[in-house]
Formats: sequence, structure tokens, C-alpha cells
Amino acid sequence: MKAQAISRSALDVEWQRLQVIADNLANANTTRTAEGGVFRPMRLVSGPTTNFASALRAGTAQLSGVQVYGVEPIAGNVRRVYDPADPHADASGFVTYPEIDRAGEMTLMIQTSRAYEGDLVALNLADQMYSKALELGGQS
Amino acid sequence: MSPVTPVSGITTQSIVQAPFQATAMPAGGTASFASLLAQGLHAVQAKVEHADALVKAFALDDNIPVHQVTYALEEAKLSVELAMQVRTRLLEGYRELMNMQL
Repeated sequence: MKAQAISRSALDVEWQRLQVIADNLANANTTRTAEGGVFRPMRLVSGPTTNFASALRAGTAQLSGVQVYGVEPIAGNVRRVYDPADPHADASGFVTYPEIDRAGEMTLMIQTSRAYEGDLVALNLADQMYSKALELGGQS
Repeated sequence: MSPVTPVSGITTQSIVQAPFQATAMPAGGTASFASLLAQGLHAVQAKVEHADALVKAFALDDNIPVHQVTYALEEAKLSVELAMQVRTRLLEGYRELMNMQL
């Protein structure tokens, strides 16, 4: 069931990546976070569970999928809009919005969705292979 | 420029033998066939119960990603199928022996 477990870990990771992207888009008009600062768009950082060198040395049996390393803020500018009436305006009348690259987020979202689909295909195929192997030697 | 060192870890032998080593019997092969069967049935039971618990949790609160539920169901289904296949083979072997002409 190793192939299935690997695909499953990837499904989990892509699911969380989509959550992070959705959070970025949802907070595009956030003027202030709960901590008081300006909202920073986040990125999910993921990588293999075992490191590649040890996986190579030990052969194929050591591959164990992907995991989330963490969620990190990405560097970027802020967008300052002059609006003295806004309750979050600063002393000089400017409101600070995060500068979110919407096109970039959309592209990443499509990539995430395709990666998720790919993992599902791999998972289904592994299941089919397993089922087929169960038929081996059976009375047709 | 330093020469490229070849990857020495992977040999055809290690790849071919790895899966067999992983499923090799415990040292000495002390486990009896009956206890092996019981172990397998317990594993199947655990998977079915896990899938059951996930379905219940999902019905109460859909915070769990759907794929975890469907994957648990699929895993449980496959392990039940495996158990059924083992049972069929076992029964076939038994019948074969019972019908032996002496």
C-alpha cells in the first residue's frame, strides 16, 4: 500500500496549499490583521518526507511521500490608498492594503488543482493494480 | 572540474531484492499460520473501524478533507477483498486435500 500512502500524503499537502491560497485571496482587502500589522500573503512550503540522498542510498523502499514544512509569508509590497474616512487610516490618512498578485495566486491555484488531480489518478491506478493483483490465480 | 562520482548505492540487486526483504518472515519464522491469519484479520478489522470512524466524523463536521474519508473507505474495501481472496484460496486448498483419492 506504499504507492497509495505516497499519493495520499500529496493529496493532503495540495489540499492545505489550496487553503493557503484561498486565505490569501480572501484577505486581499484586509487592512489590518488581528496582531495589528498589515496582512502578508502566505505560501505553503512542502518537501519530501525523507531526504533524497538517503532515499537513493536505501533503494526504493524508503520513499514515503511529501509533507508540509510550514507556511511562510512571501516578500512583497503594500498598497497605500488615501482614504481618511476609513477607520484603519493612519495619521496621514492612508490605508495600507497587502499587494496580492491575483494572477499569480490564480495560476498557483490551477497548478494546485492539477497536481491534486494527478495525485488522484496515481492513487486510483495504484488501487486498480492492487485489485488486479488480487485476481491473480483466482478462478476467473 | 571534479569528475562526476557515480551513484554507488543503487544496484539492480538492491532494487529487485528490497521488496522481498521487506515482507520477509520474522526471524526464525516462529509465527504460526493461524496467528498470521488472525493478525491479518485484526488489521482488516482495524482498517474498517478507522474508515467507519472517519465517515462518522465527516458526517458530524466536514472539516476533514474528503479525500481522507474516501481513501480510508477504499483502503478498507481493498483489505476486505484481500481477506476474501485469502479465504477463497484457503478453502480451495482444503477442498483439494479433502477430495484426494487414496
